[in-house]
Amino acid sequence: MGKATVIPFGPQHPVLPEPLHLDLVVEDETVVEAIPQIGFVHRGLEKLVETRDYNQFIYVAERICGICAMGHSLGYAETVESLMGVEVPKRAEYLRVIWHELSRIHSHLLWLGLAADAFGFESMFMHCWRLRERVLDIFEKTTGGRVILSVVKVGGVVRDIDDAMMAEIIRALDGIVDDYTKIMNTLLTDTSVKNRTVGVGYISHDDAVNLSMVGPFARASAVNYDVRAFGRGAYGDLSDFQPILDDGGDCFARVKVRCLEVLQSIEIIKELAAKIPAGDIEVAVKGAPADGAQASNVLEQPRGECYYYARGNGTKNLERMRMRTPTSQNLAGMTRALAGCDLADVNMIILTIDPCISCTER
Amino acid sequence: MAQFRQEFTPLDRDAVHQDAARRKEEGWRYVQTLAVNAEDGVDLIYTYMKDGLLENLVVPLVPHGSSMPSITDVYLAAFVFENEIHDLFGITFTDLAIDFGGNFYRVAVSEPMTVISPEQKAAREKARRVAAAKAEKDAKAARAADAQTGYLADHPDAAGESKPGRVFDTASEADVEAKLAGMDPEKVARVRAAIAAKAKKAAAAEAAERDAELEAKLAAMDPEKAAKVRAAMEAKAKKAAEAAAKEGE
Repeated sequence: MGKATVIPFGPQHPVLPEPLHLDLVVEDETVVEAIPQIGFVHRGLEKLVETRDYNQFIYVAERICGICAMGHSLGYAETVESLMGVEVPKRAEYLRVIWHELSRIHSHLLWLGLAADAFGFESMFMHCWRLRERVLDIFEKTTGGRVILSVVKVGGVVRDIDDAMMAEIIRALDGIVDDYTKIMNTLLTDTSVKNRTVGVGYISHDDAVNLSMVGPFARASAVNYDVRAFGRGAYGDLSDFQPILDDGGDCFARVKVRCLEVLQSIEIIKELAAKIPAGDIEVAVKGAPADGAQASNVLEQPRGECYYYARGNGTKNLERMRMRTPTSQNLAGMTRALAGCDLADVNMIILTIDPCISCTER
Repeated sequence: MAQFRQEFTPLDRDAVHQDAARRKEEGWRYVQTLAVNAEDGVDLIYTYMKDGLLENLVVPLVPHGSSMPSITDVYLAAFVFENEIHDLFGITFTDLAIDFGGNFYRVAVSEPMTVISPEQKAAREKARRVAAAKAEKDAKAARAADAQTGYLADHPDAAGESKPGRVFDTASEADVEAKLAGMDPEKVARVRAAIAAKAKKAAAAEAAERDAELEAKLAAMDPEKAAKVRAAMEAKAKKAAEAAAKEGE
């Protein structure tokens, strides 16, 4: 073994879409320890809840991150509804899940593109982002926005999707499935992809459990945990929902789990579009959360479980709002996955964890 | 999978580490740690999950600037939250597995989440006033109900006629006029002046209370919005004054 050297990685690095810094302790070409450092984009958004009322804060919540915007507005609204004992109409629950699953598809396609780019597979990157554009087109037609959707409100949703538009969404998704299946099969069978991912950044099932990992990162180590399986809201009306699991525990397993989750989300949307009940899309929410009332909530974001907490103070402004994002929960797992890897594999491992630093720092 | 439930349970400050170790043994998944600032300290909330139960353990009012044992030797994932709470709330964690020594976040203000903003202070004061007013109203209603019960016990024949809350009403305007009609005119003038002064004082107190409430509301608003509201109110008042002056002419 050679002499230990510390190599700084990031915060500005071609493979990182967001600023994350790692101190990599290397001996020869092997990483023996990785210490993560964040804090470059901390905006103090949680503090803003003191000066925005609970209806206004939903617009702050969805601006925490561009990719998880829909999820954050949904998670926040559900938490405040739980705090105030509000029951949302069934149709609104379906619409929320449809948009949320579309958001998962766009997040996974964006990530697949970035991962392909990191492999050096640039044409694949273009194809993934081309398909993602079609999902963004659906967002634009149904909400008016492509990234920040602003469709969720405390008490329901602000827009409906009529039958004709629902049929158009299904047609668009059917078109995406054909193209996506070709991309997915290429990714999962290509030798150059396998060379970069199989056996790289391995995390055992026990380590994943001990490190409290969440999302596709954990499910790729056969951790059977997906918040959607609790069957809350419209998820409870699905005929069957089983989390996508793989026991590979390496980068390839993470690619595979996310690839299959795209198809799973498309199936969820199609089933809910067929079952969506008629009715109201919102209920009027009046008053303010009681002083000292508190509620917590979990939601399966594209990157994994996100925890929300809210406490009222008797006024329309909340006393405290907290979002614990999946990436902050997975940082410990990331350090474990990096320990013992080759220096050249660091970027691949970080990407397959799909870190979202904007969410983490808020 | 099991049904989702959530619970909030109090936890003693000294039992945090022991509780984490026990939960690890029992297979609980660590979810997060968060802090809520209060005037007398910081509430720490440790969250774990098992079989669909999201259990939030609340350690109440940990004094500002004090120290807590780290649970990172049990759950490494807690290092992010403990460093964050140190930088944003000023609570120190001993024996942190990965300790950034106050450099986890680069903050412009020390312990920013413990700063109670004027907006938050105004909101808290307003909430206190609303709660006090509600308590007073409830107490008044309870006193009136007691008095009504007592009155009915003393006057059983009034049971069908009286209405709750109206038994001890002050005399109506008609009664006052009837009383004044039989009085010396000089005394009547004095009584009328006293009644008018009392009404004016009550109206002024009510207006002052309304103004205070409005100020609290404006203080809790976004400053830009508050300025707009103030400008609109001033314009309205000016218009009303002009209309009154025109009428006077």
